[in-house]
Amino acid sequence: MLFLQLRNELRKLFGKPRTYIGFGVLLLAQVIIVLLFRYTPASRGMVRQLSSAGIDASQYITCLTVATVMLFPIAFVLLPLYVTLIGGDLVAKEAEDGTLRMILSRPITRFRLLLVKWLAGVLFSTLLVLMLGLVGVSFARCFFPWGGLFAFTPGELFSVRNAADGCWHYFGAHVFLAVKAGTILTLAFMFSCFNVKPAAATILALSAIFVSAVLMQIPFFRDLQPWFFTYYLDVWQSVLMQPVPWWKVWGSLSMLTGFNLTFLIIGATAFHLRDIKS
Amino acid sequence: MIELKNVVKLFGRRAAVDDLTLTVPRGAIYGLLGHNGAGKSTAIGMMLGQVWPTRGEVRVGGHEVTSRRRLALQKVGAIFETPVFYDYLTGWRNLEILSQFTGPTPPARLREVIELVGLTGREQSRVRTYSHGMRTRLALAQALLPNPELLILDEPGDGLDPEGIHELRQTILRLNREMGLTILLSSHLLNEVEQLCTRIAMLNRGRKVFEGPLAGIRAGQHWLRLRTGDFAAAVTQLRSAGLITNDREGRLIEPAPDTGADQVVRHLVAQGMPVFEIAPEEQTLESFYLTQMKDSREPKTP
Repeated sequence: MLFLQLRNELRKLFGKPRTYIGFGVLLLAQVIIVLLFRYTPASRGMVRQLSSAGIDASQYITCLTVATVMLFPIAFVLLPLYVTLIGGDLVAKEAEDGTLRMILSRPITRFRLLLVKWLAGVLFSTLLVLMLGLVGVSFARCFFPWGGLFAFTPGELFSVRNAADGCWHYFGAHVFLAVKAGTILTLAFMFSCFNVKPAAATILALSAIFVSAVLMQIPFFRDLQPWFFTYYLDVWQSVLMQPVPWWKVWGSLSMLTGFNLTFLIIGATAFHLRDIKS
Repeated sequence: MIELKNVVKLFGRRAAVDDLTLTVPRGAIYGLLGHNGAGKSTAIGMMLGQVWPTRGEVRVGGHEVTSRRRLALQKVGAIFETPVFYDYLTGWRNLEILSQFTGPTPPARLREVIELVGLTGREQSRVRTYSHGMRTRLALAQALLPNPELLILDEPGDGLDPEGIHELRQTILRLNREMGLTILLSSHLLNEVEQLCTRIAMLNRGRKVFEGPLAGIRAGQHWLRLRTGDFAAAVTQLRSAGLITNDREGRLIEPAPDTGADQVVRHLVAQGMPVFEIAPEEQTLESFYLTQMKDSREPKTP
């Protein structure tokens, strides 16, 4: 039964045209970034950085590197936006439309309903991230050769890997990016369980993420970073580091598991206590 | 089939339902009447486990709804005032999705119910292309899918044209007579309730002001319509003779127990008052409803 109900939730999710807005915009962003890299002098800065480190740049201006470069802006801005849109809709939109009353006249427990909806949301966000990685590297391959992976963020990350190793780390980063997407979805889902409009649930989740991210960036709060929720969302970047700080990766995963459970418990409690009225 | 015992639902300080006790017997078509905000939908919400009662006990099919919701709702179907669906999906897909919250439903059962409500041929169209009447039929189909023993209909005729209302009425009667379904019908349409229901309850500001069989309301009518030269003078005469106990609207009298219309006429004629007409006043559900609502609003004198 759980499988049937999950399949139905996915049918509802993928039957809605607005679900594809996220996919569409993310693909568009990838296309624009690849074309800018290919047809403007944007890659010169990368060549300079590699040359100054004594590395043959021609080995690393590749589809893997360009796909990784695209990942950063998408993971920071677009992904949270689209995942919260979906997460905020999951319960609140059904309550607003009235279909939730129809469902809850059936002999299904509220907890079971939430579980099915959350699983569908997590599957959606995982699929979105995996598609992002696959399309990103495939499209970049149309304009750039296959080869090593160069990942760089100022002051935090500088790594060069051969193609085989780079490919694994590129894939690994997406697996952990899916965890980030799932956590953001769970946050929006929690707000969606309250008696609020879907837009309010999305805005509340985005506000929580952006406020946390902004506070984390204030130089005086550097020592407090581990207290902010968004600190652990960047776990996917650690997988691109050389060497990978696995202690930090597993620590972040544990914290994210705790956050997810907390969001789910708060959301489920709020939903359970609510009166569902037209 | 449904039992509410001393149920109270508070929203803040306001009591949406106040000490409500009612019983819907198996096999009945039970009407729930009341003005907007009288507490009908809240009461239905509590029967379906969507609204938590503040106090009291709600049982459906013998099971306490708050603690044993799954058992209580296993054989229940419900329709709400505005039938809403996933408009971007087909009627068939909507039925599949909703029915699987109850249990696995074979396609043959879906086809059977679609045929029963007269949607055959349109089940593969998206719901956004359906008329209001078709949506109501789809709502009825989803309610009938789990082979219910109890059907809860919350304002099902809202927005339907006269043909649609007639069709819905016939369907409800058929479901009750042929399939033995117990039906709880909440409606503003007193005429509909009068034609359908065997028993009714009236709510006013969350409180039950009447519960009883509809036949009893008709049988209990005892007002006489009196047309005479001077109604006020006639009433004074009849009161002093102890032949009536009440009067209203300047045209109706309530005879004293064991007093017939013939005695009233004889007395008035003996007093020299012409009687142009005397006849039993046909009490409609509407007049009974309005009287009950008026009485329940008036402050009670000790």
